[in-house]
Amino acid sequence: MSAAPADAPSADARSADAATVAAVRSFIRGHRRSSWLDWYATGFVVVLVTVWLSDFLAEPFSRLTAHAGAEIPAQTAVGAALVVGAAAGLVMLGQAFGPLALPPADASWLLLSPLDRRDVLRRPAAATAVVSTLAGGLLGVLGMAMAAPYLRQEEHRLLWAWLLLAAVSGAGFLLAAVGAAVLAQPWRRWRRRLRAACAIVAVAVAAAAVTAERLTAMSRAVTTWFAEMSTGTAGVFTAAAFAAACAAAALVWRMLPRFPADVLWTDSARAGTTRMAAAFLNLPLLTWIAEDNHWRGRLLAFRPWPRPLAFRSWPRLSPAFALAWVDWRRLARRPALLVAVAASTLAPALAGAAVTGHARGWTTAAALLAGAIAAGTQGTTATRRDTNDPTLRRLLGVSTGEALAARAVLPALLSAAWLTLALVLLVSTGVLHGWLWPLLGPVAGPGVAAAAVRIARTAPINPAEQGPDTPIGTMPPWLITRTFSVVVGFIGAYPALKAVAAGHVHGGTFIAQLVLSAVVLGGYLMLVSSREG
Amino acid sequence: MRVAYGSFVVLEDVELTAADGEIVAVTGVNGAGKSTLLRCLAGLRRPDAGTVAVLGSAPRDDPAFWRAVVLVADQPTWYPGLTVREHLELVRLTHEPVRGWCLPADELIDTFGLSARADAVPLDLSSGQRQRLSLAAALARPSRLLLLDEPEQSLDAGFRQELGSLLRLEYAAHGGTVIMATHDLEFAAAAGARRVLLADGRLTVLGMVRPNP
Repeated sequence: MSAAPADAPSADARSADAATVAAVRSFIRGHRRSSWLDWYATGFVVVLVTVWLSDFLAEPFSRLTAHAGAEIPAQTAVGAALVVGAAAGLVMLGQAFGPLALPPADASWLLLSPLDRRDVLRRPAAATAVVSTLAGGLLGVLGMAMAAPYLRQEEHRLLWAWLLLAAVSGAGFLLAAVGAAVLAQPWRRWRRRLRAACAIVAVAVAAAAVTAERLTAMSRAVTTWFAEMSTGTAGVFTAAAFAAACAAAALVWRMLPRFPADVLWTDSARAGTTRMAAAFLNLPLLTWIAEDNHWRGRLLAFRPWPRPLAFRSWPRLSPAFALAWVDWRRLARRPALLVAVAASTLAPALAGAAVTGHARGWTTAAALLAGAIAAGTQGTTATRRDTNDPTLRRLLGVSTGEALAARAVLPALLSAAWLTLALVLLVSTGVLHGWLWPLLGPVAGPGVAAAAVRIARTAPINPAEQGPDTPIGTMPPWLITRTFSVVVGFIGAYPALKAVAAGHVHGGTFIAQLVLSAVVLGGYLMLVSSREG
Repeated sequence: MRVAYGSFVVLEDVELTAADGEIVAVTGVNGAGKSTLLRCLAGLRRPDAGTVAVLGSAPRDDPAFWRAVVLVADQPTWYPGLTVREHLELVRLTHEPVRGWCLPADELIDTFGLSARADAVPLDLSSGQRQRLSLAAALARPSRLLLLDEPEQSLDAGFRQELGSLLRLEYAAHGGTVIMATHDLEFAAAAGARRVLLADGRLTVLGMVRPNP
């Protein structure tokens, strides 16, 4: 015979707990001193995001009324791929926030309490569902916009009905995916698997988009598939999405009362920091958090430092090279990151096609610059940590100038390799012509790396810091310093970028780029050395 | 020397001399100015009046100074992707060729009770273990002056005694000087430290700390 434990809550007690959660929230609401300024700030952000989104999406949505004759097939394939990639990216972004997380104060006061956990989690779960539904619906309509010119070939189709089906399908699939992320949240292994699956989908669709841009046959196949899709097929898709969303929601609802507190506690703290960082566009802090999260809980096999290389050979190298080796070792231990960086070389080809419909010009050059700087920053993590907190550098007793010079080698190589690979892809997809282009990568890499190193040495973002007044308001100092770093990178790679924008490269470009790379990176390192020793 | 934050005077007419091989324990209530004194000695805060001489010259934030002086205050920001052992190895490596007393990484890991966590990243250690690692890193390289700001924080009572003995029997015995801010007189006694008291901005020399009977 089994008996219920003496302290098991009865149904009445549970309902009393539920009432308590409401009472607690009501108490908090009653004592919160929010001013009209909070409402104004929230409203302003909503208006700003709406205006920006409507402006950004105006062109894709204009396809809803466009005709297939005027369309470039590749743009449809690339656009559809970007929609799928964006959905995968949103799920990964959701994982960075939990997806299920409480505000830090709720995590401290409500989570570790006798309150019914489902009631505590009801609000964040509903918020996650609403955001997923809205984002999914928007992506569904965007996907529909990509297909619209071909669907319109059949005049009998009702566009508005198709729009509704697309919105419900998008919302359903994204809600199901985010629901799966919530279900996987308590298990580290499943979280990793889901993240890996999303990353694979994102990379696969990016690769498919670039291929479709190159191969007209593939683009035609995609557009034909759109054109031949019947309303019945679309209805089946929508029903499947709706069913998946309902199943995920039901499973999450059943799980809420038993959702592990330790997972919520950790994720809520991380989400709080992430939200604060995101609110101030503090990308460095976000990447810092992601980096720490990656290493947490790992045991690493000891590898001896390259002592013979650095100290026993002749001539003896400076201890600064041992210090610089920190970043090399970190990257060697993160092969997936290197693969992601390599996969991002698809971006310049994609960016041009998606934004302008043809992949040349300053859009591609800007994507090249941004990607090469981002790749370079993957080799500057230790520099960032030392800039934020010089304690360890002092303990190591290495001079700033020597350390920086030794540490600049890796970002220069990373930027150069990234540029080379991106240029190879631009040539192989037919955007650029001639096999001289990839040779620009190794020459331009060091020039771009100066920006990556400078960004790593910039003081952490302090949202409270006041900057100079400008006609568009106060300019935050962190924005000025980071913009200046990008300008340094632009100057450092100007000949290469100008050549890409124009689509012509010649011998003079290489010489100019070589000189500029040496001047910009060398000049920056000498400047820091003379200033800080 | 004299140090003030605005109108609030933290240190007034403070005079302190420490000899080679000596351990000085600076004690005082919270906010007495112990950390400020250590920052002045490390050259991270310039006194408003008076002079500070460390190893014969004014402290300065440059590599030559930091090759002779170690400051252990707040725990450092660790490098991502490096284990406990690799951090210790790196500290020693950047001071090669090693001239002067210091302990090899393997011995430090044993002495500081980090053997079971040697291949973990510092982020995964408990706060006490991270404090042990910070102190171990300070002894993984040669130095002439060790500035410790409340080194006993987060450490268990047993290990505080071991740390005190290590500082006295090894570091100071090899000619190193230790100036530490501390609240733990048992620890100071284990280190054989001369105690000075900071109160109301002034320093009073109290003599050697004796262990409780």
